[in-house]
Amino acid sequence: MTDSALATNPASAVATSAVAPKLTVRDLHFYYNGFHALKGINMDIPEKKVTAIIGPSGCGKSTLLRIFNRIYAIYPKLEAKGEVVLDGDNILDPSYSMNRLRSKVGMVFQKPVPFPMTIFENVAYGIRHHEKLSKSDMEARVEQALRSAALWDEVKDKLKQNALGLSGGQQQRLCIARAIALKPEVLLLDEPTSALDPIATGRIEQLVEELKSEFTIVIVTHNMQQAARCSDLTAFMYMGELIEFDQTEKIFTKPGKKQTEDYITGRFG
Amino acid sequence: MPANQAALPTDILEQRSHRDARHERLFRWLLKGCALIVLAALLGAAGATLWGGREAFSTFGWHFLVSSAWDPGNDVYGALVPVYGTIATSFIALLIAVPVSFGIAVYLSEVAPTWLRTPVASAIELLAGIPSIIYGMWGLFVFAPFFANHIKPWLTNNLGNKPDDGKLSWVAEHVPFVGKLFGSDYPFGASILVAGIVLAIMIIPFISSVMREVFQTVPTRLKESAYALGSSTWEVSWDIVLPYTRSAVIGGIFLGLGRALGETMAVTFVLGNAMQLSASLLDPGTSIASTIANQFSEASGLQKSSLMALAFLLFVVTFIVLLIARLMLRQLARKEGR
Repeated sequence: MTDSALATNPASAVATSAVAPKLTVRDLHFYYNGFHALKGINMDIPEKKVTAIIGPSGCGKSTLLRIFNRIYAIYPKLEAKGEVVLDGDNILDPSYSMNRLRSKVGMVFQKPVPFPMTIFENVAYGIRHHEKLSKSDMEARVEQALRSAALWDEVKDKLKQNALGLSGGQQQRLCIARAIALKPEVLLLDEPTSALDPIATGRIEQLVEELKSEFTIVIVTHNMQQAARCSDLTAFMYMGELIEFDQTEKIFTKPGKKQTEDYITGRFG
Repeated sequence: MPANQAALPTDILEQRSHRDARHERLFRWLLKGCALIVLAALLGAAGATLWGGREAFSTFGWHFLVSSAWDPGNDVYGALVPVYGTIATSFIALLIAVPVSFGIAVYLSEVAPTWLRTPVASAIELLAGIPSIIYGMWGLFVFAPFFANHIKPWLTNNLGNKPDDGKLSWVAEHVPFVGKLFGSDYPFGASILVAGIVLAIMIIPFISSVMREVFQTVPTRLKESAYALGSSTWEVSWDIVLPYTRSAVIGGIFLGLGRALGETMAVTFVLGNAMQLSASLLDPGTSIASTIANQFSEASGLQKSSLMALAFLLFVVTFIVLLIARLMLRQLARKEGR
């Protein structure tokens, strides 16, 4: 990781390492009900790294994340303009298949929301939509996903119990297992620990660290320490604009912009 | 400032505690009373009908339940025809109303554009408020004749075992029961099937507005999680929304069923009021409520007691149906690992 990769052009602050970008955002604008929520975002998200997006409430960080799997498209009157290129294809192109996108890009939400089913079915549910597996293959896939989410040892004896019986932290890891069971390439985490206690939060952060060898992870967080602890790169957003995007270490030690410095030192936000 | 100076004198606090405890006790009794009124009303109504029907039960014994006779001339009465009519019409009503209501509720909560949701939801609630006699009149003057002229001939000729030209269709010949269900030489529209359809139209507003309301309580993030895994709107509605709201949905269905079982006026208009047991859905029949409504004014003695006994059986039927619903819910819950 070299600081020299820092782009000189701040508008497209693509200060990433030598790794090829997995997701490329080009001149992305977003509108809901006419409100201009994202104003020309440009960024390259590198493969198999953890990229954190921070910023005060309403800065558009969740909005940006929700474009990466087009989850916003289930609601009317929301419109994204520009390009988000995943492996060479623009996912905002209407011809880009939703099933293809959702199997390549997984998402975990703020609150743990297990489906009203058994623990096993929670993980198997998404797989069934995309693949026909035999019973034994399915069991292997579910076990693998639960192991990757560091949950297997805690639930292996109660796979047939309802997922709502798990603790909040376990439920959130179940949601992560459910997302990675589809073997996505990109994992989007939208403030995944905002509803969890510090111990459960620690486990999720540790999990993020383990998962980045397999997945490209984008995490939105309002918790700056979390971004500092578990990300390789950090993007700071403010009022719908990407202010600065660089190595996490650099953002938190010598930020290039006054606004970034003000935010991370707690002067606003 | 010393701490004890800020505190109120102990005796005042004591007094207040006593007063609070007294109020709390009163409040609890009041709540308990409200709940007990329901129980008392239920037991009272069941007890009164059982008491009123004691003469019929003691005269006919178990025969009252299985006999299809209803002969005021010879003073012989049996409950089978009205009980069958009640269950058959309500069952048909649910068969039609539940899927349609589910469709309406999913459309209004998941699919419809925002500007359309509120007007349609209000329209449904208005429909729920229409008195049943209006549905009965519509059924009698509009739907039953239309049914007799346009739908019934097709059903009897293509599915029934008594077609006009005497030639059985393939379905009537090869699929068991269907021929009997749709075979009829009764010329008018009023029948079990028409009553079931009119009942379905009456209960759809109830079931669909309950469903719509509970569907809206499903957390957005839960639905988004399923969408994020690639699920379609259908899958989200069927696999996530419905199980999440299941007990409330079943509650709504039983609200509708309760209305269907006890509905009197609309059914009386379109059921034909014939005390005959027929396997055909296109033949007229009668229901418990409409039998009572039709005969109560001139009944006396054993006939009156038999009508009371019928009313008691309506309680029993409703109770059994609710019991089945409970068992179904428990079965489903077990499957989900609860």
